[in-house]
This record gives sequence, C-alpha cells and structure tokens, in this order.
Amino acid sequence: MSKITVPIGPQHPLLKEPLSFLVSLEGEKVMDSTLRLGYVHRGIEKLAEQRTYIQNVYLIERICGICSHIHSTTYCQSVEALLNLEVPKRGLYIRMLLCELERVHSHLLWLGVLAKNIGLNTLFMYAWRDREIVLKIMEEISGGRVSHAVNIIGGVRVDLNDKHLSLLHKGLQELKKRIEEILRSIENDRGFQARTRNIGQLSLEEIKRYCVVGPVARASGLDIDIRRDAPYAAYDELSFEVPLMTEGDVWARSVLRILETIQAIRLCTQIINNLPDGSISVPAPRRVPAGEVVSRAEAPRGEVFYYMRSDGSQNPARLKIRTPTLTTLITLPGQLKNMQMADVSAVIAGVDLCIACGDR
Amino acid sequence: MNKEKAVNKLQEVLNLDRSAIKKMPMNEVEITISKRQILLAVKTILKSGIWHLSAITCQQLEDDFILLYHFWKSVGVTLRIRLEENNPRIDSVCPLIPGAEYYERESREMFGIEFLGLPNPVPLLLPDDWQGGYPMRKNERLNQDKPKDNKHKQKGKSS
Repeated sequence: MSKITVPIGPQHPLLKEPLSFLVSLEGEKVMDSTLRLGYVHRGIEKLAEQRTYIQNVYLIERICGICSHIHSTTYCQSVEALLNLEVPKRGLYIRMLLCELERVHSHLLWLGVLAKNIGLNTLFMYAWRDREIVLKIMEEISGGRVSHAVNIIGGVRVDLNDKHLSLLHKGLQELKKRIEEILRSIENDRGFQARTRNIGQLSLEEIKRYCVVGPVARASGLDIDIRRDAPYAAYDELSFEVPLMTEGDVWARSVLRILETIQAIRLCTQIINNLPDGSISVPAPRRVPAGEVVSRAEAPRGEVFYYMRSDGSQNPARLKIRTPTLTTLITLPGQLKNMQMADVSAVIAGVDLCIACGDR
Repeated sequence: MNKEKAVNKLQEVLNLDRSAIKKMPMNEVEITISKRQILLAVKTILKSGIWHLSAITCQQLEDDFILLYHFWKSVGVTLRIRLEENNPRIDSVCPLIPGAEYYERESREMFGIEFLGLPNPVPLLLPDDWQGGYPMRKNERLNQDKPKDNKHKQKGKSS
C-alpha cells in the first residue's frame, strides 16, 4: 500500500495552538510522525534577562494563557528564596487558592477540548459551562479571568474579603456537584469509552525513560506530585490525595484529571476554611543578592521547573524555564504509532498540550 | 536518604573532591564534574534511583559555558559541567535518557553547544532557515535595529 503524508497544523481545527505534525499513513494506519515546535516561541528566557525582577513577574505570567498563575508563583518563589524572604501565611494560602482554582479551570478546559475532538459536543458544552463558575470566582478575586497578576515578590496583591469567601463557598459546592455528575457520565458512557480506551497508551517504563510528569505520568502509574513530594507554599499543612491510575491510556488520563479536579476543589475548601489572619505580603528589596536557585511547582500539567541565577544586578542573569508540556510532546510520535488516523485527535487532546508553555 | 546515597556513590565512582559538592537552597545539591565524566555520572545517578531529569540549563559565565543537569526524586541533584568557549562539545545523554532530546536540542540551537550522538540534531524552536546566530548567547542583542535608543532609555530609568 502506498504511503501518504498528512500535515496536521500549524493551523488546524484539532489544535488550539500552533504546532505542526507530519503524519505518514499507510491506509488508515499511522506509520510514523514528526512534530515541529516554535510557532509561538517568543524568547521569554532572553527577554527576562533584559527586565528587572519586578517587571519579570508580569512577563512570566504571559508564558501561558491557561496556567499563568503557577508560572508567576514559581518565579516569585525563586526570587524569594534568593532574597531569603519569608512570605506571610495568609499570602501563601491565597497563592495556593489561586493555584487550585486554576487547576480546576485548566482541567475543565481540557475536558471540553477532548470532548470536542472526539465528537461529544454535549460534554464539551457542559464542561465549559461549569468552567465559567471558577472563572467568575477568579475574576471576582483578581480582576482577570486567566491573567490574574495576583503574585508579587513577597506575597500577593489581593486579599480575600467576605464577599469572595461566600462566592467561593457557593461556587465550590455547585462545582463539586457538577463534576461528580460528569465523572458518573464518563464512567458509564459507552461512546466515550470506545473513543478513549486503549488509545495512546504509555507504559510506566516509557514514562520513566522520557521523564514525563503530571497527570499523564500518574495515569500510567507513576506516583509523582511536587505538592506532596517536595511541598512548596504551604501544601504540607493541607491534606489531599494524589489520584493514581495504571491503564496509561486516554481514558485513564480523563478519569484521573476529573478525580484531580475533585481533589483541587477539596483543597480550595480547606484553604478558605483555614485561612490564617495577618498580612498578605512583605516588602521586598529591589536588588537581589547574587546566587543560584532551583524551584519547582506542580502546574495543572505537571512539574514546572525554574532555574534562576542572579549576579547582584537588578535583572536576573539567567532564567531557565522548563514546562511540563515539553516532556509530554516528546512522547507523542510514539503514542501515535500504529493508531488509526481517526484516533489521532483523541491522542493529541488526551495529553493536554499547552504549546505556548512548550515554546516559551 | 536517596540523595546522600547518590552523592556518596558519585563521589566514590568519579573520585571527586569534597569541594566539588555544594549545598543549594530548596533541598538541592550541586556536584561539579568534568565533561569527560558525564556519561559515567549519569549512569551512576540513574542506578541510585534518581531517574527523573527535570531539565538541562545552559548558560554563559565568564565567557565559558556552564551546563547544569537537574535531576530530581523528591530531592534535587544537579550536575555542573564547564565547557570552554572555543570548544563547546559534550557527549549526549540521550542514549541513557531519551527524554533529554528536547533539552539538548534547545541548548544546541540557543547556545551552539554540540552534543555528540544527539539522535535528531535539527532546530526545535527556531525557524528552519534561521541565520541569526545563537540567540541566547550574551553577545546576541535584542532589538538589533535600535540598540542605542534602548540602552539610553534603560539608563535613564535606573538612575
């Protein structure tokens, strides 16, 4: 049978962000695929070297349009470590609250994208309708739906008031009900299972070899979560479970992400119930002493890694950012091999790519 | 603990000095090795159970290149390697850790480090027809059209 090559991207209805796949087909079967990044490369690492530490907080937040808060959290964490600055508890709790709300929003967004890619438009509508609840809460707290600008070096910019808390209580309760409903329908829906079971499987061995992180790794049975293994902010004071699945296919990733969403809502409730009193930030000096620091955090897609070197001037001398998407992208050609062409959409959506993060 | 074990093993296998080991903030330890030892060091770390390579950082320091291999397993172990400016070559770790491919390709195109044995040495982020040198090097400037204006503005602000 003759081979044909089908380009998917850089602009394609399947992809929400530009990425280029070249898929070689023999009949309906994928024989090989190559991918090309860089369509949204903005050179943020280089830009960060030209800007002051304070300007960088806002630059870094623009790496990603979905998980913007976790980037600024990790960045501020690195600067605070270099400054030896202790952030007040209340500030840390508000930071964590935004992190977890962002996880809920990111996972629901992803669920909608997956549902749409495999032709379940009703689920897509439900997921994005429910995502509005969490977006509205975040907008009420910070003023922005996806770019919050809540973090500053030394704490956070906004405090929670009674109005926020009552909105959170009501919203989280409603959200929990709806997500449990979604979980029930996914577990029982034969159409969803037929499109996702045994699709894009990754074994635990492959996950380790490719250093994959986050929900994709946990769906293959790798027990890894920075929030629990190396707690940052004040995660060591909260109790939560890290869901784990072993199937390693798109179905396992879906169920796992929904379970994670439920855990994130649980964490949000814990945070607002145990919110400490006191100030939300401490003043930070503008000059950062020379030094090097490595900082990690658990983004909705897994471990995000920052390395920062300061030479004592007002700009960082080097800022290295490794986002979780980069680790997942490398496994895609392997996952697509021997798949049917119609399943490519499920695989691409299933790993939850954030190309803007990957390219920086 | 895992970290102590790995560090001791590395020290023993690579014959390292006590001064090569440096404690860092956030539960990190940094080990300076020479570039010939890279594959042996990575093998030793993998054997001691720390198999997750978080990232490879490349940077320029006093004209030389510094490569940092950030390993992690609840605790962080970083390998630090200095490469001379006129000969930035090192063995690729891809045969041991296939997941390192993108990290090495990025350092290759951004800094011009040559990784010997890199399976797919094509651009990762830069365009295929890129001819502008290595963008992350210190002597590469942003806004090359109007460097003077930019510098002037920044100076005015800081004073």
